[in-house]
Amino acid sequence: MKIKEGFVLRHVAGTDVVLPISGATLSFRGMLTLNETGSMIWRLLEEGATRDELANAVISEYEVSAEEALADVDKFIAKLCDAGCLDTP
Amino acid sequence: MLCKIADLYTEIPEEGGIAPLLEDYRVEEGREADIVIRAEEYRREASFLAGLSDSSIAYLESAAQFNYWVLGFGGMVLHASAVELDGRAYLFSGPSGMGKSTHTKLWQGEFPEAKIFNDDNPILRPSGDRWYAYGTPWSGSSHININMKAPLAGICFLKRGRENSIRRLTPSEAVPRLVHQTASRFKDPTRVDLMLSCVDKLATGIPIFELHSIPVPEAARLSYGAMLQAAKEIGL
Repeated sequence: MKIKEGFVLRHVAGTDVVLPISGATLSFRGMLTLNETGSMIWRLLEEGATRDELANAVISEYEVSAEEALADVDKFIAKLCDAGCLDTP
Repeated sequence: MLCKIADLYTEIPEEGGIAPLLEDYRVEEGREADIVIRAEEYRREASFLAGLSDSSIAYLESAAQFNYWVLGFGGMVLHASAVELDGRAYLFSGPSGMGKSTHTKLWQGEFPEAKIFNDDNPILRPSGDRWYAYGTPWSGSSHININMKAPLAGICFLKRGRENSIRRLTPSEAVPRLVHQTASRFKDPTRVDLMLSCVDKLATGIPIFELHSIPVPEAARLSYGAMLQAAKEIGL
């Protein structure tokens, strides 16, 4: 999985936001806000990552169980798919 | 025609018959323009302009170009109705149909000195250590429009409600609301960053509120009281 081209992640007034540039469109009224975990996953997805790789990163960063990590990752991936910013194989 | 808008010398083509709208902003020719609006770059074929008259296209596209270039001068547009009272500017923003104009009209009803100086697209721009709200020729269908500026005291996002209530937004709550009500779609990522830099400074430096309201005079007294107090607390 990889983030499509044409999106930027920026830190603004204490909040991580994702905005579309060029022809890209976000279905979330033009903008996404991310929490700390979301931002970490987003950065990994900019380079391309599998579901397991994302879950492993969440586990090592936040010391949560594999089950919790996978649930978080799945939820976040679903959010990105809904927003139309993810290329899935 | 050379105009001065948001303290920027701006060359605007008279094409589309928009000269009467610009008259109050007109200045003597002969200075170098900070911003040049180009009629040949109006997106006449764009689907969102389909079926509009030449004057509507000139109005919308000159605004779009100004809103793009003003970012390079540290300012940004906010979709809002702007009112001045006792030397302070208060902006009421939100999606169309949320009652921005209705709310500033309530202010005029309650406070005879209140002046609505733009009803759709005021510009926010810093000067020294203050932000200023500026009237612009682009003021929506009501054409309520005064060429003036006032130091910005606060921004309030409007929501429909069953009763009147107001609360201060945190900077991270203010960010998405500001982004949604400014020009945010650009092909050039550096423009996105300029816009976000304005949003960051506004969200952290200006008191920002959310008002749930019904259109009664006490809604105006509620927003004025809360916004004035917050502005005074930080010396605005």
